[in-house]
Amino acid sequence: MKQHRVVITGTGVVTPFGRGVRTMMEGIREGRSTVRRMDEWGEYKGIKSRVGAPAEVGDVKHIPRQKRRSMSPMSFFSVFSAEEALAQAGLDVSAIPPERVGVITGSTLGSAVAINEFFEMVLPHKNVEEVPAMQFFKCMSHSASMNVAQYFGLKGYVMATSAACASGLQAIGTGYQLLKLGLQDVFLCGGAEELHASVTGTFDLLYATSTKYNDAPQLTPRPFDRDRDGLVCGEGGGLVVMETLEHAEKRGAEILAEITGYETAGSGEHVSQSDTESMVRCMKGALRESGLSPSDIGYINAHATATIQGDKAEADAIKEVFGGVTPVSSLKGYMGHTLGASGAIELIATIEMMRSDIIYPGLNLQNVAPDCQGIGHLSGPQEAKLKAVLKNCFAFGGVNTAMVCVKP
Amino acid sequence: MTEQEIIEKVNNVFITAFEIDAAEIRPEAHIFEDLGLDSLDIVDLVVELQKSFGVKIRDEEQVREIRTLNDIYGFIKGVKAGKGGS
Repeated sequence: MKQHRVVITGTGVVTPFGRGVRTMMEGIREGRSTVRRMDEWGEYKGIKSRVGAPAEVGDVKHIPRQKRRSMSPMSFFSVFSAEEALAQAGLDVSAIPPERVGVITGSTLGSAVAINEFFEMVLPHKNVEEVPAMQFFKCMSHSASMNVAQYFGLKGYVMATSAACASGLQAIGTGYQLLKLGLQDVFLCGGAEELHASVTGTFDLLYATSTKYNDAPQLTPRPFDRDRDGLVCGEGGGLVVMETLEHAEKRGAEILAEITGYETAGSGEHVSQSDTESMVRCMKGALRESGLSPSDIGYINAHATATIQGDKAEADAIKEVFGGVTPVSSLKGYMGHTLGASGAIELIATIEMMRSDIIYPGLNLQNVAPDCQGIGHLSGPQEAKLKAVLKNCFAFGGVNTAMVCVKP
Repeated sequence: MTEQEIIEKVNNVFITAFEIDAAEIRPEAHIFEDLGLDSLDIVDLVVELQKSFGVKIRDEEQVREIRTLNDIYGFIKGVKAGKGGS
């Protein structure tokens, strides 16, 4: 069976920095943190972490009511990201066969906001009579995919990849694989997630959140740093327009990057602990498919969320595959961990770095932790002639993903 | 509650919950064909009317026969007068 080459022709994000890829890259370039103290979480008992990186939905009235009624913030993040990505791609989806255009978005659990609203309405009297019709449509794991498909009139594959922090990269990777097989011509792929006290609370219960910087929110999270103390939840959405190379070339589209390798693999071991061996297997698999060797990769965008164990496991894995030379950084210090959106948002930032040949360090990396040493931590922005980059995402459930993109 | 109060409260549901332009609110307006509501909106219309008027109408047979704003005014008037709805 013929295998098609797959390219990215448009990108769009909504992040804690605001709407748009340019806004995000300005924030990263200026070394700004979007983490703030979340005093509003004080109404919940038992949450120790009071830091988060919220994103704004903004004005939504231009979306017709009957399209808008099933959208929660994560769907708005996705729709706005899709609008930006399609505009950059110069692609009018109404002008191409809609059954050949698919959408895959990933999210940890659908809309945390809508799910909490649902239970606040129904409990404690267990009464469903006042729940609006659209509430469930907002809650569903595939809510963002559904809403993007309905909004743009897409009639191809409509899927959702639910794999926690790997959701967004799995969405892009799955779209890549389906395009390779020629099963669709175009895909909109990415991820979205909402910030909510209940989500941070869940990580809090597992001692995975940052709790020591509540009074200095911009000093956390601290991926790979000696003084890291856990993750900070963020929110947002990111989406890429992907096409077969033939489809892109036929319409004269500008190609931003080509996806040449993707691997996803489980650890089969533990639901929450990171596993170096399967991370290694994943990165090697993506490299193998791309036909590149570790020395061809000019920059690694790490998953590193600033958990004690996760950062160490990833550093060990990167050391084993790449040694200590390849530049590495994690972007979570700037925007927190946007969970299901992180793979998409951070891949988009990585592609922007490749296009501009400038790579950026992680925020809050002041002293590399002893257990994270031996890899190429960036200490400042660096010019680099990049030909290929690698993006990692590692998730709860022992789910690992890695993707290689090359400059066109 | 007066008939006029009922009319104003019903109209307010359409203006705020369904973003209908006040200029389109006429007693004979058909909620599907003129005001653009669909079957999913009817579920929410029932919820909003229940909240606005403090009545339970979800299981009323008459709800299924509503087609115009006039129908709703009359239905709510009947419910409030104790002819239906618990």
